[in-house]
Amino acid sequence: MTDLPTSSYPALLVGLPVLMATISLFFKSRGNAVAGLIGCLLTGGLGIVSFAEVTQRGTLIHILGGWKPPLGILLRMDSLAALFIGITAVVGILISLYAWWYFSSRKVSDGKFTLFWSLWLFLWAGLNGLFLSNDLFNLYVTIEVITITAVALAVLSGRTVALFAGLRYLLAAITGSMAYLLGVALLYGSTGTLDLGLMGQALEPGATATFSLIIITLGLMIKKAAFPFHFWLPPAHSSALAPVSAILSALVVKGAFYIMLRLWTEVFGVSLSYAAGQLIGFTGAVAVIWGAWQALLQTNLKMLVAYSSISQMGYLLMAFPLLILAPGVASGSADWLAPAWTGMAYQVMAHAFAKSSLFLSAGIIVFALGHDRIESLRDLVAWKPMTAMAIGIAGVSLIGLPPSGGFMAKWMLLKGIFLSGQWWWAPAVLLGSLLTAGYVFMLLRLAFAPAREKIAFRPVPHILQVCALLLALGSFLIVLPSENLIQFLGGTESFGTGIESIMEGGVHGNE
Amino acid sequence: METHQIYSLTSVVLFAIGIGGVIMAKHFLKKIIATIIMGGGVFLCFVSFAQRDALTFADPVPHALVITGIVVAVTSAAFALSLARRIHQLTGEKTFPDEK
Amino acid sequence: MSVVIDILMAILLIYLALRCMLAPELSKTIFTFFAFGLTLALAWIRLEAVDVAIAEAAIASGFMGVLLLDSLRDFSYALSKNPKNLELPENFTIKESNKSLLLPRLALGIGFVIFLLISMEATWKTPEGGGLTAVSEELLPQSGVEHPVTAVLLNFRAYDTWLEIGVILMGLLAIFAAGGVKNYRKPSMTAVDPLLRQVILFFIPVLFLFGAFLLYFGKTGPGGAFQAAVLWGSIGILFHLGGWPIFAMIPRKLRQFLLTMGLGSFLILGFLLMAAGGAMFEYPPAYAGILILIAETLAAISIAVALTAIYVYLTK
Repeated sequence: MTDLPTSSYPALLVGLPVLMATISLFFKSRGNAVAGLIGCLLTGGLGIVSFAEVTQRGTLIHILGGWKPPLGILLRMDSLAALFIGITAVVGILISLYAWWYFSSRKVSDGKFTLFWSLWLFLWAGLNGLFLSNDLFNLYVTIEVITITAVALAVLSGRTVALFAGLRYLLAAITGSMAYLLGVALLYGSTGTLDLGLMGQALEPGATATFSLIIITLGLMIKKAAFPFHFWLPPAHSSALAPVSAILSALVVKGAFYIMLRLWTEVFGVSLSYAAGQLIGFTGAVAVIWGAWQALLQTNLKMLVAYSSISQMGYLLMAFPLLILAPGVASGSADWLAPAWTGMAYQVMAHAFAKSSLFLSAGIIVFALGHDRIESLRDLVAWKPMTAMAIGIAGVSLIGLPPSGGFMAKWMLLKGIFLSGQWWWAPAVLLGSLLTAGYVFMLLRLAFAPAREKIAFRPVPHILQVCALLLALGSFLIVLPSENLIQFLGGTESFGTGIESIMEGGVHGNE
Repeated sequence: METHQIYSLTSVVLFAIGIGGVIMAKHFLKKIIATIIMGGGVFLCFVSFAQRDALTFADPVPHALVITGIVVAVTSAAFALSLARRIHQLTGEKTFPDEK
Repeated sequence: MSVVIDILMAILLIYLALRCMLAPELSKTIFTFFAFGLTLALAWIRLEAVDVAIAEAAIASGFMGVLLLDSLRDFSYALSKNPKNLELPENFTIKESNKSLLLPRLALGIGFVIFLLISMEATWKTPEGGGLTAVSEELLPQSGVEHPVTAVLLNFRAYDTWLEIGVILMGLLAIFAAGGVKNYRKPSMTAVDPLLRQVILFFIPVLFLFGAFLLYFGKTGPGGAFQAAVLWGSIGILFHLGGWPIFAMIPRKLRQFLLTMGLGSFLILGFLLMAAGGAMFEYPPAYAGILILIAETLAAISIAVALTAIYVYLTK
């Protein structure tokens, strides 16, 4: 692993946002925002450039301090990490632009909003660090960076609801990361390394490995608000400021999912079993249906969008059972791995774009009306056609209608499900889409309905709507390079260890 | 039974007490203290392995990880404390509304 | 003999943790938590982890304890001020709520015991991974310091330590975000017991020297940036307790500089090393010792200021 080409991009991807965040701390209100926006644009640009670099040169590594693992820490940017960094960069730039106009047009004299930029840059550094990290303990530090900054952003509005939601979020997240860390301690005790690749080779099946798998998975499921642990997400995401909600739902929850994916595919190969995959898939399926059903019952737009996140994140877990081979299946014949894998990647991208767009649109409506009751969407097409369009387009992608990115995700997932013969997941995918269609059409029906009375609303800067619309369009545009993206994810020359094994043969289940 | 075994068994008991505390305790401060006890358990687990793997000195890597971990855990606990105090200051509440 | 001591210590730890969680009064919880922290520090000395013991006693028990004590005062003060919080709702009956909770509580209890047994089995059966002692021993001479824990913290895994310095700064920003900044007024010099002030004035140079000692000798023995930082941070806290609001007296720019200095200098050092052709935090072996000492000193000052700031903003 250490003979891959080295590059300074991985270190810069973490260092630059921290540097810009630190610089922006020295300025007061206006200067702070300028420095913050410049920092966001630079970080985003660097993310896109490094993504391009990985498509050219393949996996890049950076050996921190020159100390090779197991003693040192290795940053690795393979195609999966590059994909996540790329999405974060594109979505992050658009959210930052939105935030710039959102905050400057609110004319808040309140000094607290200036904290947004430094916290967001630190959060971005944490996300990049998480995607690049190849070390179990370093992953813990990065998820703590993300937790602290994400909760701080969530309570920035200062409302009591947000404070309660933030404290609940923080306590859940701390519990989750402590559970994760206990698993790491046991794994370190049994293998004597923290490096993902080395640990995957050294780990022996047994009670300790199984317990670590369980406790790490539980901890991460709390952090990603998977089904039985989703209680903290809707209040926290819905009570935050609009750009913050978009960041939290589009990017932050993906962090814990990413660690889970990495660990399951690279470390826990030996202790995974067919049943474990089925169980995770089941919680995913329940989340898909339950989340969508709850979304249908909401009367506030932001709550609806937050519940929809629980539902959409459930699809990601449903790909897990497909990645584990049933006993007696030869790895060569597992032709469903590639579709399942692509479906998962597309779901991550489509959800990041569509969900951030929806939260930004909800922010525009709150901005104009002062509240977000769904009933107030009446006649949206007439008074905010661009926002109505953004909601429509993002909604279509969430449902999974062609030719959206969401369609690509669900289609690939269904293809994987049928090829693998695990047909029992298909009803959940379809029912989830149906319920999603229910709440999206409920919003659109209101948007086209004539207004009952003349609504007085505050003027909203045009550019806010453009940002939301661009993100919504993004969830369609990701389909265009689908051929190249699938090749990029599956291309052998640009791969690290884990996904390669998944694409070639899958993780072998014991028994 | 050796020293490291005693402490590694103790560590998971502390972790379990902490996790029970986070779920069952109602007062904000108790929940926050429970997270620190949970963390104490995890760190004890690391350090007991360090003592087991000692050669001329105990394994320094877990020691360093634990020092990092303590600082991170205390920082998040301090943040939680500030949120709890702010809530208390604004509403007079000491618990979550649905956990009374 | 030593096994008996360890078993007694383990029992004491578990007892204190349980007491801490089950104590009916909040003040008892917090005082038991102090005792728990100190016992844990003793356990770490038994496990030959002196660095961790100092960090535990100073940060997790000492610093956190001060914050908790102050919060305790805050919570109990407001309680006596608003007696309406003590009143129970009219339809509140204790018996009924107990009955309906019995089944879930039983299930929770059983789940708890099962979890405990599984986790104990898992720890008991942990295979011997061997750890990284041999590798660190082999590479220690190249690290520029003689104490293995300091070598891991500031050289082998400097990236983690750098992020952790960042976490403290982020924690401070997060406390601002939770509602600290707007309400913070510059406190004036308050009247404090002159005897207390004398004691504080006596302790401050002692703490400073002891911190400097820990920092400098961190390269050869237990101690280092974090332990020193907490001692220096406690100087700031003592000043505030004695009625000298030094934090508010420092000009804003200087305050910001002191707070970000540790994170920033470490990062710039990393970037410079990268510009020189190496990896981030790849010190040239000849200069490793001095570079580590500089980075460590700046980090210690920053952390000390940040801890003082956390105390000041949290307890205002």
